[in-house]
Amino acid sequence: MRHAGRAAWKVVEWGLLAVVSLIFVFPFLWMFVTAFKTMPEVYRFPPTWWPESWQLENFRIAWESGPFLTYVWNSFLVAAGILVLQLLTGVPAAYAFARYRFRGRNLLFGLTLIALMIPPQVVFLPVYVEMSQWGLVNTLWALILPYGASAFGIFLLRQCFMQVPDEVIEAARLDNASEWTIMWTIMVPMAKPVLVTFGLFSFIYHWNDYFWPLIMTNSDAVRTLPIGISMLKAAEGGKLWNVIMAGNMILVLPVLAIFFIAQRHIISAFVYSSK
Amino acid sequence: MVKKVRVSILACVLTVTAVLAGCSGKQEAAGGQKSGSGSGGQQQTADAGKPVEIDFWYALGGRNGEVIEEMVKQFNDTHKGIVVKPSYQGSYYENHAKVLAAVSAGNQPDVTMVEIASVGAFADAKVLQDLGPYANGEEDKYIPGLMGNSYWNDKLYAVPFNRSTPLLYVNRNKLKAAGLDPDGPKTWEELRRYAKALTKKEGGKTTTYGFSTPIDIWFYEALVFESGGNILSEDGKSVALDNEAGKAPLEFWSSLLQEGVMKAPPGEKYNAWDVAKQDFLNQQVAMIFTSTGDLHALKENATFEVGAAFLPANKRYGVPTGGANLVMLAKSSDEEKKAAWEFIKWMTDTPQTIRWSLETGYMPVTKEAVESDEMKAAYQKEPNFQVAVKQLEYAQPRPMVPGYKELQEVIMTEIQRAVLKQATVDEAIAKVVEKGEKLLKK
Amino acid sequence: MRKAVAVQEVANAQSAGALPAARFVIAERIRPYLYIAPALLFFAVFFFFPIAYVIYLSFHDWSLLNLEEIEWVGLDNFAALWEDADFRQVLANTFMYTLATVGLGIVIAFFLALWLNRRARVYGLVQAAVFSPHIVSLVSVAMLWMWLMDPQYGLLNALLEFVGLPAYTWLTDTKSALVSLIVVSLWKGVGYNTVVFIAGLQSIPRDIYEAAALDRSPWWRTLVSITVPMLSPTLFFLLVINTISSFQVFDTIYIMTQGGPVNSTNMLVFYIYEQGMDFYNGGIASAASVVLLGMVGLLTLLHFRLMGKRVHYR
Repeated sequence: MRHAGRAAWKVVEWGLLAVVSLIFVFPFLWMFVTAFKTMPEVYRFPPTWWPESWQLENFRIAWESGPFLTYVWNSFLVAAGILVLQLLTGVPAAYAFARYRFRGRNLLFGLTLIALMIPPQVVFLPVYVEMSQWGLVNTLWALILPYGASAFGIFLLRQCFMQVPDEVIEAARLDNASEWTIMWTIMVPMAKPVLVTFGLFSFIYHWNDYFWPLIMTNSDAVRTLPIGISMLKAAEGGKLWNVIMAGNMILVLPVLAIFFIAQRHIISAFVYSSK
Repeated sequence: MVKKVRVSILACVLTVTAVLAGCSGKQEAAGGQKSGSGSGGQQQTADAGKPVEIDFWYALGGRNGEVIEEMVKQFNDTHKGIVVKPSYQGSYYENHAKVLAAVSAGNQPDVTMVEIASVGAFADAKVLQDLGPYANGEEDKYIPGLMGNSYWNDKLYAVPFNRSTPLLYVNRNKLKAAGLDPDGPKTWEELRRYAKALTKKEGGKTTTYGFSTPIDIWFYEALVFESGGNILSEDGKSVALDNEAGKAPLEFWSSLLQEGVMKAPPGEKYNAWDVAKQDFLNQQVAMIFTSTGDLHALKENATFEVGAAFLPANKRYGVPTGGANLVMLAKSSDEEKKAAWEFIKWMTDTPQTIRWSLETGYMPVTKEAVESDEMKAAYQKEPNFQVAVKQLEYAQPRPMVPGYKELQEVIMTEIQRAVLKQATVDEAIAKVVEKGEKLLKK
Repeated sequence: MRKAVAVQEVANAQSAGALPAARFVIAERIRPYLYIAPALLFFAVFFFFPIAYVIYLSFHDWSLLNLEEIEWVGLDNFAALWEDADFRQVLANTFMYTLATVGLGIVIAFFLALWLNRRARVYGLVQAAVFSPHIVSLVSVAMLWMWLMDPQYGLLNALLEFVGLPAYTWLTDTKSALVSLIVVSLWKGVGYNTVVFIAGLQSIPRDIYEAAALDRSPWWRTLVSITVPMLSPTLFFLLVINTISSFQVFDTIYIMTQGGPVNSTNMLVFYIYEQGMDFYNGGIASAASVVLLGMVGLLTLLHFRLMGKRVHYR
C-alpha cells in the first residue's frame, strides 16, 4: 500500500517536473518553430505545432537585413574588451585589498561595495553627457569604458586571494620575486576557477546588454547584436514574426549552446555573484 | 616568466586597443575632416581624389528602407565627389531621439529625415541649417501643400521627402459582397453604416470588424480638422481642443467601439499601426485608416482588391500631411553642406520622387512629377496612387511648435484614456489643455 | 631579501621605522594605492562623478539639444515631478512591479529550490531548464513574449482557448499590461533565485537536519525553524538584488509597451529615458534620476547595515 503510494507520487512528481521544465523551455521551442514558418502559417489560429515547410529563407532575410557580421564582431569586441579591462583593473585591486593593510583600506573597499550595489543605469544620463564631451559617443569605447572596472570582479577575486596560504607568498618572496610577479604568476593561476566563473558572467552579461548600446550608438559600424536584432521589428505590412524569431535565434542560440556545454560553470558563475 | 606574463598582457591590451581603434577610426576620420575644412569648398569638391563623405539617417524599415538604400547607392554611383553613408535609425520616434542625442555629442548626421512635426523644435534649437541660400528659389518646384512644415520663422529648413496623408483603405471585395459602394464611405455617418454592415459575428464572437484605426495623434488631428477645428491656437501658445471639434472625434470613436463595429488595435505607437495593417491583410477588418506610405506594401501583400479613399468627412474633408522631410544639420562643414544639398536636391528631384512614389505609395513631392506622363500613366493604371495627391487640396500642416513633440504624446495618452473609457471625453480634453499650457509656454 | 622583509612589514602594518631602506618603504607604502588606482579611477569617472553630476544637473533646466544653455532653477524640477500625476503613476507602477516581481520571484524560487535540491540527475536537468532564460538576452525574451502574448495569434491565447478559457488581453489593456511584464520578469528571473537558494540550502550543515530528524520534528517545523533561518542571509541578499534590478526595468518596456497603454507600464528608467533622450527635459530627467538614486541608495544602506550585523558574512 505504502509502496504503491510512493510509486504514484513518483509519477505525479515526474509529471510536475515535466510541466515546470516545459514552462521554461517551451517558449524557446516556440521561437524555433515560428522561425521556420511562412507568414500565412504564422498568422493561423489556432497555431500549427510544427512548420508545414521549413523556411530557411527567414534566416537569410534576417541576416541580410543589416550587417550582422559587424554586429556579431562588435558584440564580441565589446564583451571581450570589457573583460580584459576588468581583469587588468580588478586583479591588482583585489590583490591589494586582500594582501595589504594600508590607511583608508576600509573606506576604499566601502566605495567599491557601493559601486557593486548601484547599477550604472542609474547614471546613464550624466555618463552620456560625459561621453558627448569627450567625443566618444558612437564608438565602441563608449560601450566599454563605463564597465572598465568591475566591483563584482574585485570582490570575487579578493575572496579568492585571501584564501591563498601565506606560505606560498613567503616562498616566492624569498625567491626575490617582485610583488607584481607574485600577483600575476602565482595568485592569478590559483584563482583560475574564479576567473573562469567571473569571465563567463561578465561576457554573457555584456553580450546580452541592450540598454547601453541603445543609448550610445547610432551607426551600423558600432552597433551590437541585440540592437541589430531589435531593429528587425519594423516593416510595413505588419510584424514579420517568423523573420524576427529567426533573427533572435542568432542571438540566443550561441548563448544557449555554451550554456549546455558549460552548464555547471555558468550556474555557479551566477551563484557566486550571490556570495 | 615575469616578462612573458607582462608581454602577453601588453599584447592583449594592444590587440584590443588596435581593434577598437580600427573600428572607431572611421568616426575620427570624419571628425578630422569636419574641423579641417571650412574654407572655400569649391575646389575641394572638385578635387576628385578626396570625396566628401556625408552621413544620412533615415527612419523607414522593411521594403521602403530598401528603396532608400537603393536610391542612395544610385546617387553615389552618379556623383563622383560625394559619398553618402545611409544609416537606419528605427522609427520616427527612435530617429528623433537619436538625432537629439547625437546633436549634443557632436556626431550628428549631415542629412536626416525628420518627422514633420519635429522640424520646428530642431530649427528653434538652431540645430538645423537654413536652406534658403542653397535652394535659391528652387524650392518653388515642390508642391506648395507639402511645404507647410518646411519653414520656421520664415526661413526654409526642410524639404519634403517621404510625404503622406492618412487614407481610408477598404477591402473592395468585402464591400462589394455586402452590397456597398466599393469606393468606400464618404462621411462619418456612412462610415458608421458601412462598419455596421461589414461587421460579422459568430456565436457572440466578432470574426470581422467593419473598421479599425490606431488611436493615434495623426488620425485624431485629421478628425479634428474634419470637424472644423484645430489642435493649437493661431499663435501656437495654447491648445484649441476644448470645443465641439476637439471632442467630436472621441465621441465618434467611442460610439463605434461601443457598437462593436470598430476595433482599436492594441499596441503602443507604431505597434498599433502594425496590428491594423495585419488585420486588414488577414481580412479580419474591412476598412482601416493608415498612411499613403503603406499603399504599395498593402497592395503587394493583399489577396483581395485594395481600395484607397479620402478620409470620410464630418463637416468637411480634412487631413494633416505626414511623413518626413529632409533637413541639413547646422554643425556640418561648408563642404559637407554643399554635398548635403546636392544629395537633398537629388533625392527630392522629379525623377527620384517619381520612382520613390511608385515603389512605396508616398506622394511625389514636385509639381513637375505630378504632371509627368509617368505619374499620369501610373494613376491611370492604379487610381489608388492618386488619392493622396487629390486629398492634398484639403490638407494642412501638422503643428510644429517646439513643445508639440511632447504634447502630442500627452494628447495620444489622453485620447486613449477617453476612448478606453478610463476618463470622460471632457476630462481627457481638460487634462490635455492643462498640460498643453505648461508645455507650450516653454 | 630586505625587500621581502619590507613588504611583509608593510603588509602586516607593523612599525617600519626601524628599517634602513626608507625609499623601499615608501615605495611599498604606495604600492597598494597604485594597485587600486586604476579600478578606482574607473569608478570615479563613470560612477562617483556622474552621481555628483546628475545631482548638479537636477537643479538646472537643460536639454541635450543645447548643453551650453544651462540654467539654475533650484528645486523647480523636483517640484514639477511632485505635482505631475503621470510621474506619481510612474512611481506607483515601479513599486507595484517591484513588489510583485520580488515577492513572487522569491516565493516561487524558494519552493522550487526545496523541491529541486536533490542529487538525482533529473533534478539537475530541471534546474538547468529553469535557469536557462536567465542567461538569454532580455531583447530576445521581450520579443519572444511579445509574440507569445499576441492577443490574436499568440500561443498563450491559443492555449487558453484550447482549455476552454477566454482569451486574455496581455499587453493590450491598462489592467493587464503591467501584469504581463511581471510574468516576463518572473520567467526570466526565477531560475537565478532558484539556483542561489539551492546553493544556500546545500551550505546548511547536514547534522542540523539529522538532529531535527532525531527529534521527530515534522517537516514544516524543520522548514520554519531551521531552513528559513539558515537561509536568511541568502533570502536577504536576493531581496536586495532583486529589488534593485526591478527598479532598473527598461528593456521589456522599451520593446514591448513603450510605457503604454495609457502610461500603465511607464516606470522610472523608461521615464528618465523619455524625458531626457526623446523630449527636451534634461532637468526633469536628472531629477527623476536622483529620485531613483535615492531609492537604490537607501536599499544599499539598509543592506550594509544588516550585512554588517551578520556574523557569517562571507
